[in-house]
Amino acid sequence: MVRPLTSKLSRRPVKKYSAVNILRQGITRAPWAPVLVPHELRGRYDVVIIGGGVHGLATAHYLASNHGITDVAVLDKSYIGSGGSGRNTAILRSNYLTPEGVRFYDRSMELYRNLAADLNFNVMFAKRGHLTLAHNDGSLRTMRWRAEVNKLQGVDSEVVGPAEIKKLVPYMDTSEHARYPILGALYHPPGGIIRHDAVVWGYARQVSARGVHIHQDTEVRGIDVAGGKVTGVRTNRGDVAAGTVLNCTAGWSSLISEMAGVSMPVETFPLQAAVTEPVRPFLDAVVVSASLHVYVSQTDRGELVFGASVDPFGSYSMRGSLEFIEGLAGHVLELMPSLAKLRLLRSWAGLCDMTPDFSPIMGETPVQGFLIDVGWGTYGFKAGPVSGEAMAELVATGKTPEIIAPFDLARFTDDRLMGEKGAASVGH
Amino acid sequence: MTAPMRLPSQPGEVIDRTVPLMFGWNGRAASGYAGDTITSALAASGERVFSRSFKYHRPRGILTAAFDDPGCTVQVGDEPNVRAAHRRLAAGMDVRAENAWPSLKYDVKAANQLVGRFLGAGFYYKTFISPQRLWPAYESVLRRFSAGGSMSVDARRGDYDKRYVHVDVLVAGGGPAGMAAALAAADAGASVLLVEQEYDLGGHLRYGGAAELATLRELRDRVAAADAIEVLTDSVAIGRYEDNWIAVMQRTAAGVAERLVKARARSLVVAPGLIERPYVFAGNDLPGVMLSTGVRRLINLYAVKPGLRAAAFIANEAGDAAVEDLRRAGVQIAHVADARRGTGLVHATGRGGLRSVRFSDRTVEADLLVTAVGWTAPTALASMAGDRPEFDPGAARFFPTVAELPGGIYCTGGLAGDGSLDELVGHATAVGRAAATRSRVGVAPLPHDPHPALFHGPTDGFVDLCEDVTSKDLATAVAEGYDGAELAKRYTTSTMGPTQGKLEVVNTIAMIAELTGRGIAETGTTTWRPPYAPVTLGALAGRTFEPVRYSPMQPWHSAHGAKPLVAGAWIRPDHYGDPAAEVRAVRSGVGIIDVTPIGKLDLQGPDVAKLLNLLYVNKWSKLGIGRVRYGAMCADDGVVFDDGVTGRLAEDHYLMSTTSSGAAAVWEWVENWLQTEHPEWAVHVTPVTTSYASINVAGPKSRELIARVTDVDLSPDDFGYMHVRTGRVAGVEDSVLWRIGFTGELSYELHVPGAFGLHVWETLLREGADLGVRAFGVEAQRILRLEKGHLIVGQDTDGLTRGFSAGLDWAIKLDKDDFVGKPELVWQGERSDHPRLVGLATVDPQLVPPEASQIVAGGEIVGRVTSSRMSPTLRRSVCLAQLADRLARPGTTVNVRLPDGRTIQARVTDGLAAVDPDGKRMRV
Repeated sequence: MVRPLTSKLSRRPVKKYSAVNILRQGITRAPWAPVLVPHELRGRYDVVIIGGGVHGLATAHYLASNHGITDVAVLDKSYIGSGGSGRNTAILRSNYLTPEGVRFYDRSMELYRNLAADLNFNVMFAKRGHLTLAHNDGSLRTMRWRAEVNKLQGVDSEVVGPAEIKKLVPYMDTSEHARYPILGALYHPPGGIIRHDAVVWGYARQVSARGVHIHQDTEVRGIDVAGGKVTGVRTNRGDVAAGTVLNCTAGWSSLISEMAGVSMPVETFPLQAAVTEPVRPFLDAVVVSASLHVYVSQTDRGELVFGASVDPFGSYSMRGSLEFIEGLAGHVLELMPSLAKLRLLRSWAGLCDMTPDFSPIMGETPVQGFLIDVGWGTYGFKAGPVSGEAMAELVATGKTPEIIAPFDLARFTDDRLMGEKGAASVGH
Repeated sequence: MTAPMRLPSQPGEVIDRTVPLMFGWNGRAASGYAGDTITSALAASGERVFSRSFKYHRPRGILTAAFDDPGCTVQVGDEPNVRAAHRRLAAGMDVRAENAWPSLKYDVKAANQLVGRFLGAGFYYKTFISPQRLWPAYESVLRRFSAGGSMSVDARRGDYDKRYVHVDVLVAGGGPAGMAAALAAADAGASVLLVEQEYDLGGHLRYGGAAELATLRELRDRVAAADAIEVLTDSVAIGRYEDNWIAVMQRTAAGVAERLVKARARSLVVAPGLIERPYVFAGNDLPGVMLSTGVRRLINLYAVKPGLRAAAFIANEAGDAAVEDLRRAGVQIAHVADARRGTGLVHATGRGGLRSVRFSDRTVEADLLVTAVGWTAPTALASMAGDRPEFDPGAARFFPTVAELPGGIYCTGGLAGDGSLDELVGHATAVGRAAATRSRVGVAPLPHDPHPALFHGPTDGFVDLCEDVTSKDLATAVAEGYDGAELAKRYTTSTMGPTQGKLEVVNTIAMIAELTGRGIAETGTTTWRPPYAPVTLGALAGRTFEPVRYSPMQPWHSAHGAKPLVAGAWIRPDHYGDPAAEVRAVRSGVGIIDVTPIGKLDLQGPDVAKLLNLLYVNKWSKLGIGRVRYGAMCADDGVVFDDGVTGRLAEDHYLMSTTSSGAAAVWEWVENWLQTEHPEWAVHVTPVTTSYASINVAGPKSRELIARVTDVDLSPDDFGYMHVRTGRVAGVEDSVLWRIGFTGELSYELHVPGAFGLHVWETLLREGADLGVRAFGVEAQRILRLEKGHLIVGQDTDGLTRGFSAGLDWAIKLDKDDFVGKPELVWQGERSDHPRLVGLATVDPQLVPPEASQIVAGGEIVGRVTSSRMSPTLRRSVCLAQLADRLARPGTTVNVRLPDGRTIQARVTDGLAAVDPDGKRMRV
């Protein structure tokens, strides 16, 4: 048996995370208060949230902290953060194309910047600067467009030239001889990366502490609707009655909504990502090239994280393909030829729910009490906090907050599509 | 440099004592022999410490003496993270330790050890939270503590290569089982690719005794004699994909740095052997603590004495053999503790290296501790085929569930079970024979021998040496509620390091199982994803294959100062020095532009008109022979997707042109509709973009010029605007001429067979010299079309611009039965609040608002400038813009915000065309 050294001193669990308590715990060996507490699945909750990722857990957090609603169950068919929240490349930015998108993601960035203090959990947000490269005059024009929209919304964003890019990323081949020469980039200084798992765990710890039940390995297999109203869910561990059910899933969100009889214009595509061995820090900025379908950043641990655009064909498969990593490596070396000897260590895939206008679907559905926070494509992680805040407000007040109103399901039948598709061939 | 630990010649040694090699180790001179690894050469000279660890900067030595030795990762020149226990020594190598400053011996960051009790699992998440403003400073310090080697900005990319192989049987693993399987498959008539990760075939036989070496020689000789077997050494199968598509990383390949071999195999035999599993106890990372296989490799392959005085903790025959090797090598055996008889290992102590070992019944002084506690089954390739390995508690290891594997996948050797060497070879022979015919005939399962389940001792040790994760960290994670295998791994980062969990995963799962009171089987399985071994980006990328397309006229462009423009696959002239002059030449005389990249599809068959009616928003059923029509395509959502002209050359023969950037997408689009929606339509599509060289001849004098080079009747009555003719141009038969007007001038677009492109181009320039003919580039063309108000799809439209927002009202025919995008366009047509494409004239005619300037009203964005230039013809700025409907009426003044923050006024013009709004010039 593994027996940690024990001490005769205080063994009261330590709740708050701080340098002082790290010292105290290190000396006394008192246990840390648990982050996740197992519970029996009750037969009824006021609110059932399907999906234990950043969206579901953030919603539970803001329901508890902003509205005092804690009779809530968060259900996940696997472990928390096992879906998109643990498979994305943890890039944060708010330099979107539409005013609605910019406003929304900027609020998310604001919440992220303060998240460590809010959750008393270091989520390791690192402001690194975010560069979206333009390899042709068409994409340079789009970068200018985004910069102008961003500036009007008060978001720090500008178009920079090859010399400036070289200064920010010395490893970048900014020569004119590259096969796809770099003409410029959209530079977004507030953009950065974060420890994605920590965000999930930080929210989970807070909601657990407030008495919310997180049920892992609990798969929803049916949703009960009576008289146009949701009445509960059926799971592999039993039935649960609830007046409000939120679909906060990704990958299978359209299948979950179908259980309540709600159709959504969502198509699911795999997106593949990979990570290298750690090396000493050499890349500060987050680099995105839409033309080359690649984005790159270096974590605090020294690994390079790569992501691609979504696969060309819809699928629920999360197995990577050889062609993907070959193409990815080729494109990374197009940008930074001196990385040839760096070794790739792991690759994986996540599922992206794409909507026709590259924007999420949030809010009410034709089924009363059945709410959705889905269609997150390749941009769900960066929207976690603001979505949670807004969805919690919707649950608590019954009114759709203005910041998410443009993203409602009805826009697809009322001819109000969002304009993010204009520039979203790679949305990271 | 002396070699105090080098043994006399060993029967199976792989070093060549006649070839000494000099190299650098941390700036000092060092030496070894050919065949040595970096580590074995250094170990022979008495070196015990090769790196400092990831988090606590503890000194680390040899553990496995093979590729996945966590403590033996070094920098070699500009190459980071080289596996020193695998990489063969080369003369002149500049080898340096990683993670150590100022030196391996005195590393200042080793101070982390002193505060280790505060740096447990999740330490980062629990601190540096406030004050928040200091986190960026903390972060930059933390980043400096990150591990690994250094990149070099000047590193050369190097030459990498790829190869495609088609074989009947691919055998992954060249140990006795792999060799036997390969031989049996070859005997049965199969072609075989045998892949071995070491430099030589043989697996564990290589470091065995006389009997093993005899078997090895016999098998090796037979493999060498078998013509049907190709052997790749220093190569690893890193991934298995659908239908046995197997990636093999060839780390040593003649002529190139590395090669990625991509093999399609009818059958895959997985025979990787077993990986020895470390034991977890306090001090288990001290230099001097080694696995039995590590000890045997050092002695037998490299003739290196692993220590002077050894203790051993063993639970199997591999351990017995290691002890025997040590005795033979003259190492003093202090004590052998046999775990099979219940003796326990408590902890090991020492500073900078092992000094003493405490067993449950005694304490002994030793500088070497050998452990042999069990095995990890590298089921990777089987897992990638969908297998979920199961834990057998009696045998204390995972096994693939062979029965569930898809056809064509076989496991043999230690992965499949236990037995004597003969029994394993017998099993592999049966497997190889079955693999050759893709059957399961004659393969009896191997037994699973009992093995004590030993994962950790009673003290806290390192579970993951790459990541410095201790058993206490796992306990903390589980106590904090991260009690599933995946969560605990993620929280502690156990198994996330450069060994990819090969040494750590089973111990990690076993300890989580124990901590949570669940069984190992219930806790989880070992999941293996590609790549099985780390693989360089260079090898994955291979050679750069990004072909560039040039038109046949490129030699002339290059000779005449064309400024290149990268346009997707094409590189074409942007201009020849003075785009404004090029514009004036076209407006006043005649100019020619190379438009070869325009997409061209040859459409033939009786149903072409149906296809055109479906894909374009306008009508095509009445297009006469010899006529050309402009068409715009929308996607299902009504968004403008491409445009171009299509001409009818004969009854059932059309030529379609697309935008240059849309050429490939339109072809796919056309094929998609034909193949999936209307397979009954008789239409044959041939992409002919590069079969023709295309030249647009534009300007009031273009007819005069064309008349000099063709016998086609050009009289306006016979060959009017939007007509097409075929005939001879500059002596070239089968040329297509169409009269169209993107520039707004009288113009003829010529499509001539590609090989004659340069000839026709030069003929036009020569024949038109007296007319002042001048070549113009893309920039001049863009200005000309902007003056004329012709849109560019993708520039004046975006990903959400539907037909009526692109100024295509005149073309969209909603009374057609059906066409792609019609429902959305009907909808858009019924509403009137969509953005409009408008012309803008700035109030100050000399101001050109840059493209993407935003149009604002009352603090809201109401539109943007999509195209803008100074017009050389009108000597004022001309713009197109997307603008909110309520402001789109001609004459309305709008505010344009420039990127520099200034706001200027502009007026909505009457129509899009600034030059020749009535279209008289192109119709003459």
